Amino acid sequence: MEEEDFKTRLKSAKIKAKSKYSENKDTSTSGMGHAFKMSTELVAAVAVGTIIGFILDNWFGTKPWLILIFFFVGVIAGIMNVIKSARKMQKK
Amino acid sequence: MASNPMYQFNVYRIGPEIKLGSVDISFTNASLFMVISSLAILIIFNLGAKKKTLIPDKLQLLSELSYSFVAKMISDTAGSKAKPYFSFIFSLFMFVLFCNMFGMIPYAFTVTSHIIVTFVLAAFIFVGVTIIGFMKHGLGYLKLFVPSGVPMVLLPLIVVIEIISYLSRPISLSVRLFANMMAGHTMMKVFGGFVISLGIVGGWLPLSFSVALTGLEILVAFLQAYVFAILTCIYLNDALNLHH
Repeated sequence: MEEEDFKTRLKSAKIKAKSKYSENKDTSTSGMGHAFKMSTELVAAVAVGTIIGFILDNWFGTKPWLILIFFFVGVIAGIMNVIKSARKMQKK
Repeated sequence: MASNPMYQFNVYRIGPEIKLGSVDISFTNASLFMVISSLAILIIFNLGAKKKTLIPDKLQLLSELSYSFVAKMISDTAGSKAKPYFSFIFSLFMFVLFCNMFGMIPYAFTVTSHIIVTFVLAAFIFVGVTIIGFMKHGLGYLKLFVPSGVPMVLLPLIVVIEIISYLSRPISLSVRLFANMMAGHTMMKVFGGFVISLGIVGGWLPLSFSVALTGLEILVAFLQAYVFAILTCIYLNDALNLHH
């Protein structure tokens, strides 16, 4: 009897837990987290692009062309990063 | 000079100098605080998991709450496939959280305010996630760099952009944690210096700022650990599920 009772309670608790997971509430703290995330994503891509350009320039001896190209490619990548994560946020 | 706001980030040797070849691996204050935070995690969670009573005491409640918090975070962001990586993400989150929180104690050293520490964590995650991706999908993991529905003319440019944005992950992950911790602690130290230099007459304003900043820093310490862990989950999700 008691075991039966426990089983039904466990079942309802599991269902409750599942519905809680799918709700996916966004609290204000995770909003602040998103803001931090986006700002650094934008900068990091530019930095990585510039570093890649610098290294390739040193390899091929094409200073300063590749660093210029990769800087702008990095800027594009950063903006795309931000757009992507903004889309992800909107989906939620 | 203790009044220098950057002095708190000094790394110095504790005990004898140890050398491995030409590499200095002496025990420093940074290593000391890493050991302290790891030990604190081990002790708290071992004691918390020991009793298993139905009505939990404080330590058990703490460890159960943090377990369900991280478990929910993983299932929300990376789905059920990420369950096997729970222990890694949990220890990562706890390590970063405890390092940040121990840094809030006066005279303590903040391990995560050094970019090399956060970068090693991020690089480890980056390499691990890439290996997991290749193990799960083989060479198909490279599809991550080729989004669908892009005209052939633009493809080379898009692939380069995607590779750059993939490589920027460990940098953004490490710089975010490091910059937040360092900026916050420097700011607190600067306001603390104002209190001393303005004296008993004008020192009350920066003192109240300091109190407010301490609260903010505790929030940031938690938040950055949370963001670090949740981004690891997101990267893991990309590697496991591969939909673009």
